[in-house]
Amino acid sequence: MYGEVANKLVQHAKRTQSLAHLPPYQTEMVRAITREVRDLDKDVATILEPFAGSFDPSTEPATACALLVNHLCMRRNKRCLLAYHRVRSDKLEEMCWNGIDVLERQQQPQSKAGEGGGLGADGNSSSLSPEEEEYVRQYSDLLAAYKGQWTDIDLTGSLEPPKDLFIDVRVLKDAGEIQTEYGAITLTKNSQFYVRQGDVERLIAQGYLQRLS
Amino acid sequence: MDIDDILAEVDAQSIPQETKDLQELTRAWIAERVAPELLKWPSALMDRVLERIRQQIESVEEQTGNLDPKANFTLIIIQTELERFKFLIRSFLRARLSKIDAHAAHYAARATSTPSLLSSSETQYLRSHTALLSAHYAASFLGTFPASLRGLEDSTGGVRMVDGPDEDGAVFVRALRDVGSVGVEGTERRFEVRRGDVWVVRWSAVRGWVEMGDMEVI
Repeated sequence: MYGEVANKLVQHAKRTQSLAHLPPYQTEMVRAITREVRDLDKDVATILEPFAGSFDPSTEPATACALLVNHLCMRRNKRCLLAYHRVRSDKLEEMCWNGIDVLERQQQPQSKAGEGGGLGADGNSSSLSPEEEEYVRQYSDLLAAYKGQWTDIDLTGSLEPPKDLFIDVRVLKDAGEIQTEYGAITLTKNSQFYVRQGDVERLIAQGYLQRLS
Repeated sequence: MDIDDILAEVDAQSIPQETKDLQELTRAWIAERVAPELLKWPSALMDRVLERIRQQIESVEEQTGNLDPKANFTLIIIQTELERFKFLIRSFLRARLSKIDAHAAHYAARATSTPSLLSSSETQYLRSHTALLSAHYAASFLGTFPASLRGLEDSTGGVRMVDGPDEDGAVFVRALRDVGSVGVEGTERRFEVRRGDVWVVRWSAVRGWVEMGDMEVI
């Protein structure tokens, strides 16, 4: 009672901030906290019932104090829940920006487990709540819509200032054939190419290519 | 008007628009990345720069088939320049978006009073994102809350839930013109700012001059 679970949830959120992957959604805790809020609300109603709307805090300081504590706890719980969900949705948004397909990772967590910044590294079947999955889906759509207005500039591209037009890359996984202005290149594993950075940026982000410095 | 002003005017006229745009864009980009709050959307500048990028991309596409080594070399230079411009714009837009995301409710309220703050696509993004987030909260837990607690803005208890950017954060500014006396609100301090001076001050104290272009953040 009185915000104990919410405190745990916030600690959880704090931990999440420094993790590379997203830990499983704490359905139990979230549920416990909402239940607590409802119980507190009921308590408030029961306390206020005998007064029938004519409650005067100065004549009943003890009751007023109990009410205040209940109200504060409800608001605190709400803030904790908001903070927890915000931290998680921020993380999900970041993944959308980085081009990590969160939902795909969810369906086959084993196959790509352990890869940089990915989800499901702990082999858990789903670390997202159904609501979060829906959120990710809609946010990706929103992002795509916003990006669509900047066709000439790839918004999800690298945020490092470009130094060279061409870079050396090594192929880590077979990526098939890509089309560039200088003709088609077949990317087979372990081969090395000198290509235009803009052409291969997506492939580097997806882990098919490695940039050699 | 002293000799510096006259010189500055002559300089400004001899610089071509393209160079000035690059300078303006770089300045806007730095300012957006440094300033603690969102700055006005430079719509005229962005229109010009985007138009030029489009032209350059077209000319690159036209000349790609050309095998003459000389043309090839200029092509590489143009492409490098293009990539740099794209980077500037990309970084600029992302900086703006991250600020919008961080204080969504605050900027949503401000955008209605100052429409030039956001571009139309940013306004759209902000609206849909806020709608998405509140739908997500509602579906996750707020929906089962008592009705009086469901709002996202709740100032009972004296603390507002809508958080704004820290407008008193310190920034480095360089004066581009003689500005005169600058005072910091809430303190006794005043100081003279002359052209070329560099100061570390609270953003709220110099915001007006930066927006007018008399100072630049660095």
